[in-house]
Amino acid sequence: MAHRTHPNSETNPVKLLQRENQDWSTLLTKVGHERDRQAFEQLFRHFAPLIKGFHHNRTTQAISAEAADELVQETLLKVWRKAPSFDASRASASTWIFTIMRNTRIDMLRRSGRHKSADIIEAVDVWDETPEHQPLIFLQRRRNEREIAESLHSLPTEQSHVLEKAYMEGKSHSEISTELALPLGTVKSRVRLALKKLQARLAK
Amino acid sequence: MIRHHPDKNMLLEYTVGSLPEGPNLIVAAHVQMCTECRAQYHTMNTLGGSILENCTEQSLKENAFEQLMGRIDQSPAPKGNTAADRPKISEPLLNDAPPVVHKLLAKNPPIKWKSITPALKMCRLSTGQDKYEVSFHRLSCGGKVAEHDHRGAELTLVLYGRFSDSNGVYGRGDFLLREPGEVHRPTVTEDQECLCFSAVQAPVALTGVNGWLLNRLIPFHPG
Ligand SMILES: [Zn+2]
Repeated sequence: MAHRTHPNSETNPVKLLQRENQDWSTLLTKVGHERDRQAFEQLFRHFAPLIKGFHHNRTTQAISAEAADELVQETLLKVWRKAPSFDASRASASTWIFTIMRNTRIDMLRRSGRHKSADIIEAVDVWDETPEHQPLIFLQRRRNEREIAESLHSLPTEQSHVLEKAYMEGKSHSEISTELALPLGTVKSRVRLALKKLQARLAK
Repeated sequence: MIRHHPDKNMLLEYTVGSLPEGPNLIVAAHVQMCTECRAQYHTMNTLGGSILENCTEQSLKENAFEQLMGRIDQSPAPKGNTAADRPKISEPLLNDAPPVVHKLLAKNPPIKWKSITPALKMCRLSTGQDKYEVSFHRLSCGGKVAEHDHRGAELTLVLYGRFSDSNGVYGRGDFLLREPGEVHRPTVTEDQECLCFSAVQAPVALTGVNGWLLNRLIPFHPG
């Protein structure tokens, strides 16, 4: 993909990531407004392997490779359908796609579960996909995204590891504590410390 | 103003989808009512977006994109939720309840209050799971609930009115978590009744509606 070897390649991966994120948001807006299939294909080629890797990779096998493939299809189908409601002033492409992906995963797990709670209530009714009523000033939002990406990079491994387990494997704090043989309080405080650093950067 | 919120750990578990379904509904309803927690939730989604951008790519089947476009061309877009989905509300105190509560109401039969004590009525909601009892609790003006302890964790969100206990005053939008074994004695203010949305962990030995009700009757006595 072009983004891996950008012509004016910058050395800072976070800066690179941020510029890309802007580009993805522009593409996603085109998909929404113009139903542009070429733009959608570019988004697919970038995000589909990431969505699969988020759920199934060498260290994380939250779901099987087949289920991960199905999740990729379902998520990007929704991205196509919901793209007209994407608003680049409210969220970046990656944040918005994360929320769609999380909700798709939850609906898939529920459908396969013992309790047919998918019949009761859909994930989108429980986890809003457009949480902000007031759009932030575009530059402010982009700054926040950058700060979050940078602080994720600067976290101690023990903290980022716990966050990754929570996000990628969808594990609760107590499941993580059992798996890593750590006291529950330690897992909780690692999460809180990581979030505190993130908040501190946003408040600057 | 909302003064009592779920903690950051719980908000993160909500964001990643790892809370049990009962508590999840209470936290979701709070987040929909609370700008502060909604901002946190948005930050946590952004963090999710960053983790997604940073994870290791895994290759897909070669024709994955064409397969998806085939699906898109063949299947018509489903109709989105329309305003018609919004049910008639049989309980005026719930008019201003958050959207997730309205969704639940739409999937449940009309509200029927069941008296537990002279001061307390409840209505159980079906949510497709039985680990937590999800219900509305309605306390009359000035009503007191006898001091009781919790056999399982209890999460409560005030949807209407106010009540107090030894820890403070709880008004619309306030969120409370009581761990098993904690003792409290809620009292409702004199001027209006109080309606709460709550999830109570079902005791291991007594799951199911009847067992749960029986269990609830033991700790609750007229105040
Ligand atoms: Zn809150």
